[in-house]
Amino acid sequence: MLKKDLNLRSPIEKIIGIDNITTSNFGAVLSRAGVGKTRFLVQIALTRLLQDQKIVHVSLDDSMEKINLRYNEGYTNLVDSIGYVDPQKAVRLWDDINLNKVGISYNEASFDTAKIRDYLKSFKKAQLPMPAIMIIDGLDFDEDITDLLEEMKSLNQEFAISIWFAMQSHRDEALGKDGYPVQLEIRQQLFDKAVFLQPVNNKIQAIVLKDGNKTNQKFLLEPATMMLVAENH
Amino acid sequence: MIKDLKRVRNIGISAHIDSGKTTLTERVLFYTDRIHKINEVRGKDGTGAVMDSMDLERERGITIASAATYCEWKNHNINIIDTPGHVDFTVEVERSLRVLDGVVLILCSVSGVQSQSITVDQQMKRYEVPCIAFVNKCDRSGANPAKVARQLKDKLGHNSVLMQLPIGLEDRHEGVIDLVAMKAYFFEGEHGERVAVKDIPENMRDQAQEARDEMIDAASLFSEELTDAILEESEISDDMIKKAIRTGVLERHITPVFLGSAYKNKAVQPLLDAVIDYLPSPLDINNEAIDLDNNEECVVLESDFDKPTVALAFKLEDGQYGQLTYLRVYQGSIIKGSTLINSRDGKKIKAGRLIRMHASQMEDVEEIPAGHIGAMFGIDCASGDTFVSPSINYSMLAMHVMEPVISLSIVPKDNKAQINMSKALNRFTKEDPTFKTYVDHETGDTIIQGMGELHLEVYVERMKREYQAEVTTGKPRVAYRETITQKALFNYTHKKQTGGAGQFGRVAGAMEPCEEEFEFVNKITGGRIPTQYIPACEKGFQSCMAKGPKLEFPVTGIRVTIDDGAYHAVDSSEMAFQAAARGAFLEAYGKARPVIKEPIMKVVIETPNEFQGSCMGLINQRRGIIQGSQEEGVMSVIESQVPLSEMFGFSTILRSATQGKAQFTMEFSSYKQVPQSIAEDIIKQKQEEKKA
Repeated sequence: MLKKDLNLRSPIEKIIGIDNITTSNFGAVLSRAGVGKTRFLVQIALTRLLQDQKIVHVSLDDSMEKINLRYNEGYTNLVDSIGYVDPQKAVRLWDDINLNKVGISYNEASFDTAKIRDYLKSFKKAQLPMPAIMIIDGLDFDEDITDLLEEMKSLNQEFAISIWFAMQSHRDEALGKDGYPVQLEIRQQLFDKAVFLQPVNNKIQAIVLKDGNKTNQKFLLEPATMMLVAENH
Repeated sequence: MIKDLKRVRNIGISAHIDSGKTTLTERVLFYTDRIHKINEVRGKDGTGAVMDSMDLERERGITIASAATYCEWKNHNINIIDTPGHVDFTVEVERSLRVLDGVVLILCSVSGVQSQSITVDQQMKRYEVPCIAFVNKCDRSGANPAKVARQLKDKLGHNSVLMQLPIGLEDRHEGVIDLVAMKAYFFEGEHGERVAVKDIPENMRDQAQEARDEMIDAASLFSEELTDAILEESEISDDMIKKAIRTGVLERHITPVFLGSAYKNKAVQPLLDAVIDYLPSPLDINNEAIDLDNNEECVVLESDFDKPTVALAFKLEDGQYGQLTYLRVYQGSIIKGSTLINSRDGKKIKAGRLIRMHASQMEDVEEIPAGHIGAMFGIDCASGDTFVSPSINYSMLAMHVMEPVISLSIVPKDNKAQINMSKALNRFTKEDPTFKTYVDHETGDTIIQGMGELHLEVYVERMKREYQAEVTTGKPRVAYRETITQKALFNYTHKKQTGGAGQFGRVAGAMEPCEEEFEFVNKITGGRIPTQYIPACEKGFQSCMAKGPKLEFPVTGIRVTIDDGAYHAVDSSEMAFQAAARGAFLEAYGKARPVIKEPIMKVVIETPNEFQGSCMGLINQRRGIIQGSQEEGVMSVIESQVPLSEMFGFSTILRSATQGKAQFTMEFSSYKQVPQSIAEDIIKQKQEEKKA
């Protein structure tokens, strides 16, 4: 029950749709630095964990400890958003679902997909359920990473794993002709879902840039918790 | 023994297995006139190398126990410890590094930096031991010393600099060019014992000059004099360069790289020159102890023969003449007949027979002065003990000892083997702190623990050869537990009233899961069970915890609450209520959904990044849960939780999956419920054991 309540309460349910997340091959969360891409991605990943699915969170910025802290924080914010929850129950649930999370920290310079491929292959070999989603945080989309994205695409296809990226845009950069940040614009054909976060009047506005008929929907989030404030349509 | 400590070098020769350490040492002993015949390793000539004195070492072609020897080269006394390269014998390397001043790190010119090179490097870092590198086997097909020098940089983070260039490689390897003297060395005579110094071959002069410039550039960071000479384009003397390199080596900021082929008798003599030129003397090393009489304050030890003695016991050997204790003297001198105190236990000892070691042969000496390594007979002590003069109470820092990572059960073949096995285990555990043994009280098995399967294999073999104790080995049994997962009520009457003294007791209440091992809660009111029988009830319940009703594993995590009962004025007794409690336990236990729990280990793997994915895969295949992975430079650290039952043989599998380059540690984490399929297997196994 608590799992279900938490997922219903999750901002992701409103903004993207819990069941809609993994229908994407590539998803992106965009914003300029420091707005909350990683925390938003953590909330996306939590929806999978709450459905007893495995997730892999790859970070080129954060250490393993920091990744774990972010998830602890994200889960706590989600639990607090419900109102009163038996703390022991919440802790027991976290102990259970946390086992399905794998945080991997790489150095940006030496990151390559071969290591992830070996890891994902081992699931098949051991006949274990594949992770439902992989978060990639810290890739520099200002660089030419075409080859890397192609390799990620092949992982997505080979292992049927939905991959969500943190994509950093820049404050004073002009948008592309389709109205997307440049980092997404030049690669938009790869991405089937994208959410843009920007600060607006002490809140964070989440705009669905790309997601079928949810496109252009806007939502407001609390900066401290990434929980929904109100919907703007 | 030479007393001018500037002319003493205490060095170790460390490397990965089969890099040629023992062959190199054999050549060193030959060229320094310590031995008069070269014997090849692995008994190609039927004899075996001098340094590998144990039969097993000769047979397997590996070095197991470290052997110490000394030699003299160009008026310098070099004490050498030849150490094993195999990861399972790391304790020997650790011990040696604790007492040595410098290390020659041997690398194979084909394989380059390998697993144990990484381990040894970490050990050298831990004890801050300066090193020089020797790229061996330049006669092998595929030899590439320049690549190995780069690997030293890339994989181990050394500031490596080539001090020589090879003249020919593979089967054309003839000699080396010394980039300091800018001369070519060739090695003539049947065993390369004559060093012929010639001009650099014409076709290598440009290459040599370029390499020399690079080397001088690297060295200049450690010498203002050299930097000035470069800037002023004035003459750069050999001494200037050597002094700069030596400074860098002592600071551990540069690793000079030499090369050759010990087997083909090429370039060993220049390596000996390098040991003298670049590795520290005892005077160059800051050794400290703690003053136990002064709040454990750090004191710097002085290599002064007249100061109070401080010595560290770093190796024990039990031989035919009794226990032999290897010592490094840091201050003062151990003189035959003098009194010393073991600062660990305060016991006084008299220094009896003192010897200097040469592999398995001994030379009697009258004293072991500061800066030297020797051995003492007839002292009862442990490895890591500090011996001091009676006037002081210092202790050296104990050596870092790793926890064993593998264990297995051993069963002696017969009674005689049992007695001899105990003697053997007693000796081995005293000699080697990473080899442990205990009797598993739950299973009755004798369990031995060590650093790897080879480590344990060798001890099992030594038990057989040295103690005639033949044992069979098996997989250790996992210590499973039982527990319950839901609350269940009980209401049990124990009654035996068939004439004469009877027994009566009734207990009612509930059992439920809890965090503690066992909890007993008394909620009896109105005297339904007299107070004097309550402890008996608790005892009865507790007695059932030792062997679970389900599978006879110890039970854990149960809270029993009694809230009702009945007694008989005549027939009730402590025995009756104990029996009632036992019956109540059995009644409720089956209703409380009992499950089996298994020990889960925290496993941390450290691996080169290229193997990160495969290591994570190995964990996946073992019902392990990866908690995360962190890249740290060229290595990745993977943290996971894995059932103990899945970890047997893991060290071997990990080694072969990562070319021996990964290591892991394992410690107990918690008990967790086993999956249903595993529980069924365990039940089946138990049933089969019962039938048998």
